[in-house]
Amino acid sequence: MRQLLRLALFACLVCIGPTRGAAAADDDSPATAKEVISAAEQEGKITVYSTTDSALVQPLLKDFAALHPKIPVEYTDMNSTELYNRVISEAGAGAVAADVLWSSAMDLQVRLANDGYAATYASPELSHLPKWASWRNEAFATTFEPIVFVYNKRLVKAEEAPQSHADLRKALETNPDRWKGKITSYDPERSGIGFLLITQDSKFDPEFAQTERAYGKASVKLYTSVGAMLERIGSGEHLLGFNIFGSYALARQKKDPSLAIVYPKDYTLVMSRIALVPKAAKHQNGAKVFLDYLLSKRGQRLMAKGMLFSIRDDVEGEATAAALTKQLGGTLKPLPVGPALLDSLDQTKRLEFLKHWQQALGTK
Amino acid sequence: MASDSRRRAAVVLVAAAAVLAPLVIIVYQSFLDGPFFQPSSKLSLSAYRFVLADSDFRRAFATTAIIAAGMTLIAVPLGAVLAFVVVRTDLPGRRWLEPALLVPIFLSPVVIAFGYVVAIGPVGFLTLPVRRLIGRDPWNLYSLASVTAIAGLTHIPHVYLYASSTLRSIGADLEEAARVAGAGAGRIALTISLPLIAPALVYSGVLVFFLGFELFGLPLILGDPEGLLVLSTYLYKLTNRLGVPSYQLMAVVAVVIMLIAFPLVALQRRLLGVANRYVSVRGKASRSSPLRIGAWRWGALALVVAWLAATVVTPLAGVALRSVVTTWGEGVRLAEVLTLDHFAELLDYPNLVRGIGNTVLIGVAGGALSVACYAAIALATHRWNSPWARAMDYLAMVPRGMPGLVAGLAFFWVFLFVKPIAPLRATPVSLWLAYTVVWLAYGMRLISSALLQIAPELEEAAYSVGATRGRVTREITLPLVRFGLLGSWLLVFLIFVREYSTGVYLLAPGSEVIGSLIVSLWGTGAVDTVSALALVNVVLVGVGLAVALRLGVRVHE
Repeated sequence: MRQLLRLALFACLVCIGPTRGAAAADDDSPATAKEVISAAEQEGKITVYSTTDSALVQPLLKDFAALHPKIPVEYTDMNSTELYNRVISEAGAGAVAADVLWSSAMDLQVRLANDGYAATYASPELSHLPKWASWRNEAFATTFEPIVFVYNKRLVKAEEAPQSHADLRKALETNPDRWKGKITSYDPERSGIGFLLITQDSKFDPEFAQTERAYGKASVKLYTSVGAMLERIGSGEHLLGFNIFGSYALARQKKDPSLAIVYPKDYTLVMSRIALVPKAAKHQNGAKVFLDYLLSKRGQRLMAKGMLFSIRDDVEGEATAAALTKQLGGTLKPLPVGPALLDSLDQTKRLEFLKHWQQALGTK
Repeated sequence: MASDSRRRAAVVLVAAAAVLAPLVIIVYQSFLDGPFFQPSSKLSLSAYRFVLADSDFRRAFATTAIIAAGMTLIAVPLGAVLAFVVVRTDLPGRRWLEPALLVPIFLSPVVIAFGYVVAIGPVGFLTLPVRRLIGRDPWNLYSLASVTAIAGLTHIPHVYLYASSTLRSIGADLEEAARVAGAGAGRIALTISLPLIAPALVYSGVLVFFLGFELFGLPLILGDPEGLLVLSTYLYKLTNRLGVPSYQLMAVVAVVIMLIAFPLVALQRRLLGVANRYVSVRGKASRSSPLRIGAWRWGALALVVAWLAATVVTPLAGVALRSVVTTWGEGVRLAEVLTLDHFAELLDYPNLVRGIGNTVLIGVAGGALSVACYAAIALATHRWNSPWARAMDYLAMVPRGMPGLVAGLAFFWVFLFVKPIAPLRATPVSLWLAYTVVWLAYGMRLISSALLQIAPELEEAAYSVGATRGRVTREITLPLVRFGLLGSWLLVFLIFVREYSTGVYLLAPGSEVIGSLIVSLWGTGAVDTVSALALVNVVLVGVGLAVALRLGVRVHE
């Protein structure tokens, strides 16, 4: 039965996707200026470097192709370090191939903008985005992804599952045997995202020093990839993971019913995929068209459907900023796009934080 | 003869350029304080100071050395014995066993490691029943000892390939003589066959040791939970240490790894001594019947099967199981979660389908082309007593010392900054060149091991009746080493198909390969797709291997 339902749902998605987009073209399509579009069509193919799995954005790319058949998109997905490496290397050689950079490594993206790699563009779609979602009209937040706890509901009862960071700490302190070696998260030493998230925790968690020690006592298992974590929570090797992207967790949950998601009650961090156009991009107009599309209602609606969490205020559904705000309100802590993100890249501060972290966890 | 020397030198020079370009970039980069292409970077030793003072580096170095030594000690003796048993004795079923022996090579270590997690990880399907039986955790998959043992067992085929292809190429007349004089199989193996193939064993031992230093997939997945750090995963950590990628630090680690490589090559050459001592294909060679080892054959078979069960069946069963379930582990009834969706999903994504096609292409066509290059280099330096030849010998080992990820990045730079070849960057040519250079040592050793076995008198006979060098190469040398060439192609095919780290920076849309797709999908959490893709990979290569072996058999008859 469930299989059938899933099939039906899939069929619906397939049918709705393109047709609905086309029907709604008038209101929801990007408000890109006509002359930019025609210039973009002259320029031809654009290249997008992205950290978002191409499988997840397939519907988005198909819809873009339907909307702008004369602007083909070459989409390459890679991890955030590779993306940064490629871009600065290409800029160094004076041969920038990318027209749009779309990455979840917020700090590296802002760093690129800060170092003068980004072009300026006042997107007409910005009015529907929160203030913090753009910086100097160079870097733009495109998603609104909550950072969540994920646990295995076969092995952890709902009433046992911690509902906040404080809960988690208490659980680890009062019942260490239950959780020892069973908690997982990103390794801030090996993962840029992991570092960014744990430094945010250190700001919002008033008892962070104590929390750190609790993690250490519970011998938290640290990984570099979200795939490894979700797989091991699903299998029961670990029971609970924290600092996990809600988007990946939701997508995975649709397939693996043993996963349950908790939006931490005390505060829920919100991360975003940042898009920017390199100053040296060869297809500036095409890049603008694509950027507007990413931010438009039409594009954002498809993102919400793909569990990427729309950032716009006028898109409805499970994976949207609107729904999250209704549910969680003021406990949502989005990371503003801006120079504050550069703090985490400061070498001295970074090494100091990591040293502290190692000591608290007792790994050194 | 002068023009001949010039031709030989030209081949060496081209090869040297391909090898040295990335090397020069890396060494230069290691002495800077920022990316080499940024004007603000200055010459400095700060990167060396940082790395050498880092306690993580020392820890990673020690761990790597232990694993590399451990796996060499496991792989070389077992690989040598395996080759002897399969090639020389009447081991039952050795015909169908042989393709299976090579399977661990063409499984991506990421896949193997992941399969082990599903099978014998803390909640693996083999671990759970054992734990219920004995009441405690039976083993720890994530320990140093486990990783070393798995690395050793999965590298046996590397040794086996070198040893068996050499054993095949040498005549059995010496063994025959020993048998007539009453020696048993064990004594023949220890005193005749294995000493005869000592060059191949030494080479393969050194290579396995290097592979230990470059080990990436296994420690990436199995070392993760316990924080087991080796040099290649330390490289990963370095990337993140300072927030932005620190090329200079990565370059220093790469230089350190290469510095380990050079003394080993020197050692290898000394061990080899006078190559002539090992000549054993004489003008007259005859094929003989296999050694009969009586009841021992069943014992040997049991050991081989046990090894295959541990290194192939167990992880593959894990991957296969994972590919047909939605979830697994503690408290799951597998019958309730079975599905074939993951395979159907593969077809939904054009990049995955393309990736499968590209992988086959780079393995078959790219592999053949690479073997042709390796053979050209090996023949150019064959029996050439010149500093050029010795230089080439060292050069061939250089890329082996570069971790695949770093080599890939260096090639990305080469194609970016060397303007005449820049247009080739986004084509498979760049990928192919990087693969060819990274695996140079591999392919060349196999070919030159075979070349060393050919007695000079065969070639000299041809020269003395007036044949030119080209004709000798075509009609004497090449036909004699055809098994070496075929074996090499096979090896290179398998390696290229499995390779995952080198291509990461060179990938562009349209040139995806399975190995890199698996790594990137693993990162985003699409483990369902990863397991299905891994299984497709195994099946594809299995078919390719069967075809190649059949062809090989025909050539043989």
